[in-house]
Amino acid sequence: MSLIEPVQAADEDGLAQGILKTSRPGFLRTTLLGNRPAMIGLFILTFFVLVAIFAPWLEPYDPTEKVGPVYAPPSSEFWLGTDDGGGDMLSLLIAGSRVSLGVGFVAALVAILIGGTVGVLSGYFGGKTDTVLMRFTDYMLVIPDIPLMIIVAALFGRSLTNIVLIIGVIYWTSTARLIRAQVKSVRERVYVKRAQALGAGNRRLIFKHVLPQVAPLLIANTVLMIALAIFAETFITFLGLGDPSTISWGRLIENAFEGEATINNAWWAIVPPGVCVTIVILACTMIGQSVEDGLNPRLRVGHLSVKRFRVRPGAGSEAAK
Amino acid sequence: MSTRPPVVRVEDLNVWFDLPGGSELHAVQGVTFELRSGERMGLVGESGCGKTTTILAMMGLLPATASVSGKVFLDGQDILYGGEETISPHRWSDISMVFQGAMNAFNPVKTVGAQIAEPMVLHGMATGRSARSRVAELLELVGIAGDRADRYPHEFSGGMRQRAAIAMALACSPKVLLADEPTTALDVMVQAQILELLVGLSKTLGEELGLTVILVTHDLPVVAQVCDRAAVMYAGEIVEMGGMSDIYHDPRHPYSRMLFSATPDLLGDDEVISIPGAPPRLDREIVGCAFRPRCDSAFEPCSTVRPGRSEPVAGHEARCHLNDPSLTELAS
Amino acid sequence: MRGADYVVKRVAFALLTVFIAITLNFVLFRALSGDAVSALRCRQCSAAFKEAQRRELGLDKSKWEQYKLYVADLARFDLGNSVPSEKPVRGELVEPIKNSLPMIALGTLFAIVFGTLVGVISAWRRGTAVDKGGLYTALSFYSMPTQWLGLMLIFFVASAVGLPSSGIKTPTLGLFTDASMWELFVDRMKHMILPALTLGLVLYGDYALIVRSAMLETLGEDYVLTARAKGLKNWAIVRSHGLRNAMLPIITLVALSLGFIIGGSITVEYVFSYPGLGLLTVEAIDKRDFPLLQAIFLLLTLSVIFFNLLADLLYFTFDPRVTA
Repeated sequence: MSLIEPVQAADEDGLAQGILKTSRPGFLRTTLLGNRPAMIGLFILTFFVLVAIFAPWLEPYDPTEKVGPVYAPPSSEFWLGTDDGGGDMLSLLIAGSRVSLGVGFVAALVAILIGGTVGVLSGYFGGKTDTVLMRFTDYMLVIPDIPLMIIVAALFGRSLTNIVLIIGVIYWTSTARLIRAQVKSVRERVYVKRAQALGAGNRRLIFKHVLPQVAPLLIANTVLMIALAIFAETFITFLGLGDPSTISWGRLIENAFEGEATINNAWWAIVPPGVCVTIVILACTMIGQSVEDGLNPRLRVGHLSVKRFRVRPGAGSEAAK
Repeated sequence: MSTRPPVVRVEDLNVWFDLPGGSELHAVQGVTFELRSGERMGLVGESGCGKTTTILAMMGLLPATASVSGKVFLDGQDILYGGEETISPHRWSDISMVFQGAMNAFNPVKTVGAQIAEPMVLHGMATGRSARSRVAELLELVGIAGDRADRYPHEFSGGMRQRAAIAMALACSPKVLLADEPTTALDVMVQAQILELLVGLSKTLGEELGLTVILVTHDLPVVAQVCDRAAVMYAGEIVEMGGMSDIYHDPRHPYSRMLFSATPDLLGDDEVISIPGAPPRLDREIVGCAFRPRCDSAFEPCSTVRPGRSEPVAGHEARCHLNDPSLTELAS
Repeated sequence: MRGADYVVKRVAFALLTVFIAITLNFVLFRALSGDAVSALRCRQCSAAFKEAQRRELGLDKSKWEQYKLYVADLARFDLGNSVPSEKPVRGELVEPIKNSLPMIALGTLFAIVFGTLVGVISAWRRGTAVDKGGLYTALSFYSMPTQWLGLMLIFFVASAVGLPSSGIKTPTLGLFTDASMWELFVDRMKHMILPALTLGLVLYGDYALIVRSAMLETLGEDYVLTARAKGLKNWAIVRSHGLRNAMLPIITLVALSLGFIIGGSITVEYVFSYPGLGLLTVEAIDKRDFPLLQAIFLLLTLSVIFFNLLADLLYFTFDPRVTA
């Protein structure tokens, strides 16, 4: 991307250089700080994480108890009304954030651990390791994930741990491919070769040189994966395969459906859980996408624009002197 | 020689880029030069000195974050004043360009021939069969068999793609050809062939009709081999300009002198010229001479007064206080 | 010929994947989960009855024997019998497939048309209000759980515009008076619109984002600048240099999103009680009808493999660089 050379020359943050400079400690911070969607996303996600952490202190009522009439509309007593069991919707939402976000984070971690390991091994060692691992990944990619998730959930029984494992074990493939490509290109860089020539061992090379380079991408991928996992949880739960003893946003959507909230005109039981899921997924996508875009040098240049450069009449002659 | 009017004249060209946060980067500062038909000028300087920006401005291909001022005359007519509107009729038909890294100048999913013919159709030069035969002619001209027109870019070698890019630039018989690092990333043999081709193109048609070539490069031997004139750019300005051999044998700016005496860094990146120090940032006001921090012969006025353009020898100009006898005498 | 080689390779990969899918299908259902009979929720059934059932289904043989039997059955398109109803699974699949296909096709078509349109315009007008509007609308739909969007449409849209919110046919239609073909068609369409729209909107978000970023990447390529220099106008560049190249990643990603389409259609059909393959899946889960579930999973996997093969072949016709 050499065509707009002066901007890049002046780009002190090194963003224009894409992944080349991602090992600089400030990369993630500058990308996130300089990017409004990412900041908004981060703000939203932090808010929900705090709610999830402090859930037991924030819930106005016990979410597992019947505290009011069935499908009571929002009032000063029940801010978001009650559900089909007379439970307080606001308390249920707050309690649900714990399970939904928890499942999202842990499942994403499982997926990233598997995918990251496969990707790093494959990209770093290349050769036979690469061929075998990537073949396997290719086959896994073709198996439709959601039906597989249903089958496995149906076969293994309805517990939260199972759901986390299922989501994690099924969603690692795209991460593996992404990380592999990145590791491969980092591996070819001069300084990695130099370090290797100087006798650095594989473990040292991977942890000291390769991983720091792919870290931003890995983090972006994790955040996007959290979104996918939260989505998958609502899905599995909706089909009645969720853990029956826990409250999650997915469960609340299922409740609204099973409890025929539509017929009872109880919009307050339908709208909030979905809005929460949508907002959190939106936030994760905004963060992850911003980091990924920051890493993609090709996105930084647009050769086609409805706007054109401007002509300044007569200016500049003084500046030149 | 000097009786002929210039084909292209750039007058006080300035380019600014908007930076995030509202500040500006003054990338090209008051660039002025003119060229006659058949002349070949090298535009030399380090990465980021504004050489590519200068020719992109002449083509009207700057991004939306850029603003320009100044004049670009083609055959005595200013084409820059109306921006895109006034430039686009001349683009490719009168002034065309070979882009840096021509490897990527071709769309991988279309045939080379179709992409060479594209501007002919757009500018009403030729269509259908006549376009096809002209594509074959152009390819032959740059040393590629005409029947290769139906091949895809990936079927061409790097050198062939570069020649094809030159053929594409010549599609509408322009008067001026701007070539941005046309030989970077090519091996020495291929590089020599391409340079020979460029010289040939401007010479074969004779002085009156010969192609005017501006060659942008950081590679001084290339300029010496191809060009009859050279302009050295530093921090957005032309710091020295004149006949090729004049500059080589009698440089009037320390930067040019250091450039010519420096050996290229064989181990490093392709664009590193081993002069210690880095060019100044162009998003701030520069006080005094922009080159002063790296200059080996800087003296007192250099840190306060910005050197103006002077012509110590006829046809050879420079921006350096060393050429001002009144200042140098004062200092010594 | 570069073509023959490539096609053979891709088809071989697809066939191998089919084989792996069949094996996975067997392993998941038989090796890991005990067997269908013990999963049958039938407390009254005697041990002897269960034993007889097992023998009938071949579950008393070794796993390897069972696997061979399973593959042999599949080769004869025998998908086994549904456990609760004891009817052949193959027959149970036909009607739901016929119901699902048009609905899914309608939704996907909607998503492809509008997703591409909005994605291209968004990329072309990068950074403008149009782009931001398109981007955030797409992002929002992409972020919505499908089942929830379905519920929202039922609650806020269905009654407002007078569209049915469940089933596939008005039960009374044609019962007392003869309904014309046209009336039947309109009734069918009315039942299809909301499920298709739900699926389409979520997918639309996905596709618009994919197309936008594929276009943006393409528009950052040097040959786009060359095209502009050569005198092509903006729209001409989008059409003749942008779209064609952006098609490549789009084809791949749309093919990869097929698993998502299938997943989405399962919840959509459940929400709208639309009697297709998705609803059948939910019922099979509910009744623990493993042979049926197994058949559905195999069918879905095969269709994904097929569409991936199709994408590979399409890719090949669009990109001259592909050789093997």
